[in-house]
Amino acid sequence: MSLATIRAMQLADSGFPSGVFAYSWGLESALAEGQVCKRSLADWVALDLRTRWHRFDRIALAGGFRLTGEALSGWFETVDALMPVETQRRDSAQAGDALFASARALRIAMDPGALAAQAAGVGHFAVAHGVFLRACGLDLGTALETSALSLARGAFSAAVRLGVAGAITTQRDLLALAPLIAELAIAPDAQDLPSGAMLLPDVALMRPRQGRLFIN
Amino acid sequence: MTAARVGIGGPVGSGKTALIEAILPLLAEVGIDTAVITNDLVTDEDAERLRKGGQLAPDRVRAVQAGACPHTVIREDPTLNMAAADRLETDFPGLDLILIESGGDNLASTFSPDLVDYWMFVIDVAGGDDIPRKKGPGILQANLLVINKADLAPHVGVDFPNMLAEATAVRGGGAVLPAICRKGSGIAEVVAHLRREVLFK
Ligand SMILES: Nc1nc2c(ncn2[C@@H]2O[C@H](COP(=O)(O)OP(=O)(O)OP(=O)(O)O)[C@@H](O)[C@H]2O)c(=O)[nH]1
Ligand SMILES: [Mg+2]
Repeated sequence: MSLATIRAMQLADSGFPSGVFAYSWGLESALAEGQVCKRSLADWVALDLRTRWHRFDRIALAGGFRLTGEALSGWFETVDALMPVETQRRDSAQAGDALFASARALRIAMDPGALAAQAAGVGHFAVAHGVFLRACGLDLGTALETSALSLARGAFSAAVRLGVAGAITTQRDLLALAPLIAELAIAPDAQDLPSGAMLLPDVALMRPRQGRLFIN
Repeated sequence: MTAARVGIGGPVGSGKTALIEAILPLLAEVGIDTAVITNDLVTDEDAERLRKGGQLAPDRVRAVQAGACPHTVIREDPTLNMAAADRLETDFPGLDLILIESGGDNLASTFSPDLVDYWMFVIDVAGGDDIPRKKGPGILQANLLVINKADLAPHVGVDFPNMLAEATAVRGGGAVLPAICRKGSGIAEVVAHLRREVLFK
C-alpha cells in the first residue's frame, strides 16, 4: 500500500478530529420537515453529492488545493462571496475554524494565505480542507475522494445519531454510493467557479434553528 | 494562548450551569478575566441562560452544538471547542480563564487533555449515594469532583458525610468538594481550589 493511500484512509476516517461530526448539512431539518425519510435517505445523500458537493465543495476544495499565498486568500474571499446565505457562510467558517484548530494541534502547516483568510473570518471549510489535504501529502484526486466520502459518511452518521437509520444499513448504503463518489470526484478546470445557485440542501440549511442537535 | 481552560462535566441536571453561575461573581471579585463555552445538547439554551444572567458580557459566552453527542465534542473530536476557545482568546486578550461546560452526559465522560488543562466533574446527591461506588472515568479521573445539591440529602435518603467519604476513597484521596450551588454554599472553596491548582492567581 502506498503512503498516500494510508494517509488518505487516516484523513477520511470518521474518527479524524475536524469538527464535522456536529454538522448535518441540512439533513436534520430535511428530516424534521419530512423532505427525506428512512427510505429516501441514500437518495438524499446522493443528491447532495451530485449537487452541493459536486458544484460547490469540489470546486472550492480544488482551488484551496491548487493555490497559495495571496491567490489562495483571494479564493477564500471568492468562495465566501458565492455563498448565498449568511447562516451558511457562518456555519462553513465555523467548521473551517475547527479544521484550522486541528491543523494547529497536529502541527500541520497551513499556507499563510489560508491563515490570513481564517483571521479575516472567511476560512471556509471546503477550501481549508483542500489546503489541509495538500499539506498532508495527498494528490488532488485522492483529496476530492476523501472529501466526497467524508460528506456522505458524515450525513449517514448524523442520520444514525438522529435515530432514523441503522449504523450497519448506512454502511451498506455507503458501499452502494462508492461508484458515484468515484465518478464525481474529478478535478475541475482551473477556471471553474463554485455555483452559487440555490440548491435543495441549501434551502434546508436556511430553516430556523430551534431545538436543533446539529450546528446545521 | 495563555488562558487556563477548565472543563466542567457531569450527568444531566447535576448543576454544571448552576456552578458556573455561582462561581462567576467570585471570580470577577478577585479580577479573574473569564469567558464560558457551553456545549448544549439542543441549540444554545445554557448559553442563553448565562447571557441573560448578566454576569458576563453576552459575547463572552459562546455556544458549541454537540451533534447529538456531548462526549464526542469534548473527547474524541474537541476541535470545535478548541476553535471556540482560540477565538475567545483572540477576541479578549488577557483572558485568564475559559470554562467549558459539557452537555450533560454519563459517568464515563472525560475531557480530552488536548482541550483542557484541568477539569471538574459535578454529580448531585439526588442521583443517589451509590454514584461514587459506580466509579466511572468521570468520577475517578476528574481533577476535582464536586458533589452538588447537598441540601437534598435528607429528602432522598442519602447519608451525605458517608457519600463524601466514599467519593474520596474511590478517588484515592483526590479532591472532592461538597456544594449547594443554588445557595452559594461551598462555592468559595471551589474558587479557592481553582485559584490554587490552575490559575495561580
Ligand atoms: N436543590 C438544589 N437544586 C439545585 C442545586 N444546583 C442546581 N440545582 C437545580 O438543578 C437543576 C439543574 O441545574 P443545572 O445547573 O441546569 O444543571 P446542568 O448540570 O447544567 O444541566 P444540563 O446542562 O442540562 O446537563 C436546576 O433546576 C437547578 O435549579 C442545588 O445546589 N440544590
Ligand atoms: Mg447546563
